[in-house]
Amino acid sequence: MTPQAAMFAETVLRVRDLGKEYRLYSSPRQRLKAVLTGRSTHRSHWALREVSFDLQRGQCIGIVGDNGAGKSSLLKLLAGTLRPTTGSIERIGRVTAILELGAGFHPEFSGRDNLYFGGSMIGISREEMVRLEPEIIEFSGLAEAIDRPVKTYSSGMAVRLAFALVTAVQPDVLIVDEALAVGDQQFQKKCIDRITAFREAGCTILFCSHSPYHVRTLCDQALWLEHGRMREFGDTEAVLGAYETHSRQREAPVEVAEAAAPPPLPYERGPTSALIVSCELSNLREGNPGLLDSRDLVATITVRGKGDERPNIGFMIEQARGVGITSLATHEEGAAPVYLGDRTWRSVLTFPELPLHSGDYVISVFLFDESGLVTYDLWFKFLTFRFLSPKLMPGLVRLPHHWS
Amino acid sequence: MRSPLVDDARTLWRLRGLVGVLTRRELVARFAGSAGGVLWAWVQPLLTIASYYLVFDIVFAMRMGENAPTQRVGTYLIVGMMAWTAFADAVQRGMSSLVDAGGILQKNPLPPVLFPTRAVLASALVYAPMLLLLALGYWPLHQGSPAVLAMLPMVLLQITLAWLLGYLLSILMAALRDVAQVVAFMLSVGPFLAPVLFPITLFPEGWRWLLWLNPMTAWVLGYQAVLLKGAWPPAEVGLAMGVWLVVLGLALDVALRRSREQLVDWL
Repeated sequence: MTPQAAMFAETVLRVRDLGKEYRLYSSPRQRLKAVLTGRSTHRSHWALREVSFDLQRGQCIGIVGDNGAGKSSLLKLLAGTLRPTTGSIERIGRVTAILELGAGFHPEFSGRDNLYFGGSMIGISREEMVRLEPEIIEFSGLAEAIDRPVKTYSSGMAVRLAFALVTAVQPDVLIVDEALAVGDQQFQKKCIDRITAFREAGCTILFCSHSPYHVRTLCDQALWLEHGRMREFGDTEAVLGAYETHSRQREAPVEVAEAAAPPPLPYERGPTSALIVSCELSNLREGNPGLLDSRDLVATITVRGKGDERPNIGFMIEQARGVGITSLATHEEGAAPVYLGDRTWRSVLTFPELPLHSGDYVISVFLFDESGLVTYDLWFKFLTFRFLSPKLMPGLVRLPHHWS
Repeated sequence: MRSPLVDDARTLWRLRGLVGVLTRRELVARFAGSAGGVLWAWVQPLLTIASYYLVFDIVFAMRMGENAPTQRVGTYLIVGMMAWTAFADAVQRGMSSLVDAGGILQKNPLPPVLFPTRAVLASALVYAPMLLLLALGYWPLHQGSPAVLAMLPMVLLQITLAWLLGYLLSILMAALRDVAQVVAFMLSVGPFLAPVLFPITLFPEGWRWLLWLNPMTAWVLGYQAVLLKGAWPPAEVGLAMGVWLVVLGLALDVALRRSREQLVDWL
């Protein structure tokens, strides 16, 4: 085994039979009684039960599950802010949690002062902080504002400083709870770059997200929690596939396509923001929904990028009231958008002989950064079109096939 | 089973650097934004001492009755009041420390014991020097008797007492916020149930035992013996101190055992 392989095989997190019980008292009076007398009349709610897994150095694991499945409890237990009711957690090395940023800053003190104080709370000594300080201030982009009281900061500034602080030291285990939505587009990108760099340096990452896209792109293992128990743990694609099938079945009776609100854009918009400029379908007739008057589906997508960075474009077709059919992205296929000058880029996506059966279809367009990790903009289900297939057989899609 | 109180003591020792930072921060934060800054922490009690002395001993020149350990009212009052104020301040701050730190504790993996400790220590940093300085101010009374050496251990034990009680109450307050109201009331009547304002001889003999239910009675009598008469604290004072510290230590240990796992959820 090479030294590097040996390093990667090291277990940095060992979780055995982890359980967390919340005791629900009918009133705080009962709680006091429980402390005073040791007898209590509480109901038990097990947020987590019998969870066991090992994580090796350098692994990235995504945690998925419905609301209330115990994801947050698990992350808090691993981070150490909650105490487990049963079981054990063995952690090796430095564990950093990005759970909620900016908690514990004192508004009357300057950013710099809060930096030193906040550092001591996460185990960064004064001497170490003197060394780290310039880099943290640089990363946060606060410049002179660092010497102003934190009460004068915008929420974005405070969060930027907090992120720069907690990630100033490379951890052995990084716990991220959907905190990728930090600040503006540019800072969000810096955050993801930093997390990716940690990962490449051998840091183990636990990542909890509602975005299957991000879990798929970032994680090589996934853990699916259901009612506080481990439903599946293994390769991302297998676990996510099973989870998505489960979610669809559960939601099937409701008209999901109608009910689903577009996911909110996770950042603040500014005049220099990257955005989708237009998406036009060729040969689309007027109407509601418009009829696609062609055998081919040709989408021309124009976007505005960020600086001179080359953006990536994603495209998704779904049944108007039903399931997703296909998602495509330029970075997945090495198909770079064409530069038109003035930060404008264009991709033309063609589906020759659109292999769909007749029906109404809805499309979404995504704009990503160069790495494909940051979603700069999205037009979610913004256009529905009708397609009449020349073949009148029932079904959804004509798969590649041959008879013999 | 390991005692949670012993665990906490170990944790505090291990994180003593952080305790220092937190304590300093608590004091500075209390006066953040004021021009006088942290100096106010010491100016306030000094002004109180000065005003007792001026009002009772200079302006009114009031005298205590028979059998009092000293004749001047202000001189007598200052000893008990400083001890009591130090105790009440530390207990009150210790009690609300956990609820106040709820946000921090839920987002940072820090042991809860840090917060009552820093609150009590920050209070002690203000009042302990005051109590010890009284030994200088009362030189004419005790005339440098070796008994003055008892001040330091007594002050340290008082800090321990306030820490045990403050930490215990902070857990109870986390369970039920109303605890704060009850304790605030008890701290306000406390000086009347200890020989703070009146010498113990003024209390009816049959009811004096009641005073010992106030933990500070032992300390107040101890300080008065040393500062006003230059005498060593009587044996029953030492005994009462020991009993209070042991009882509170055991109570805190039990409360920790019963609440430890859920404490942060209650904040």
